[in-house]
Amino acid sequence: MVHALEEIHRLLKPTGMLIDIHPVAEASPIEIHHGGKIDLAGNLSVRQWLTDYQQADIALAEITQRGLFAIERESVFDSLTHYESVEEMRTSLKEAIAKFAREVVQSADEAVPQVEALAERAEELMQALVSGAELIVRERTHISRLRAIR
Amino acid sequence: MAIRIDPENNETRALFDMVDFSGQNVLEIGCGDGRLTWRYADKAAHVTAIEPATKLIAQAREDLPSQLQDHIEFQDIAFAEFAAASAPSAFDIVILSWSLC
Repeated sequence: MVHALEEIHRLLKPTGMLIDIHPVAEASPIEIHHGGKIDLAGNLSVRQWLTDYQQADIALAEITQRGLFAIERESVFDSLTHYESVEEMRTSLKEAIAKFAREVVQSADEAVPQVEALAERAEELMQALVSGAELIVRERTHISRLRAIR
Repeated sequence: MAIRIDPENNETRALFDMVDFSGQNVLEIGCGDGRLTWRYADKAAHVTAIEPATKLIAQAREDLPSQLQDHIEFQDIAFAEFAAASAPSAFDIVILSWSLC
């Protein structure tokens, strides 16, 4: 990723800016929202994703230490993904894991069972509720503005 | 499937809190299906949005609102290839959007 950031620096006009948005390297709660309450089905923690996010943080730190960019502002926000059903969440997460497993030498063997277990737990909780409950995955997300330095 | 990503607009608020897009030439890396692109493109002078996943960029082109057609150019390309073919100092803003290059 450092090389990509060097290329971004080259493509930017002098004093241009880079906006980086990526999830914080921590587990993502899977929540069921119903009648103003929130039940926690569990936490999604895919090791390879967390490693990737940590590597992104390290790469950004490296290019700022080298003086290519200066961090001007940073903040964190919650990005919420809403699913209409447990099946929709299960399919979407498994597709995301399969996609990354094709690109990275890392087995999805540990991640898929975790998704299945979380989906089962969510299903149990949803079945006990009246209709209208919403299934939400909450991802803490980091956004930073970096100024190119020449 | 009706997955809704960030209907609360938390990401848009955070982005607009950081950036004034007015009159800027923007490169968005990893634009996916254009979900974030639509939210700021009307403010920018021009947006080049790249994405290596053919299915996603096709979706973005299909969903491109007519009023933004003059603002946005979608390219089905990986960043390494795009950078190799690009001149230096071309953009005011680069957005690296959920994209670990």
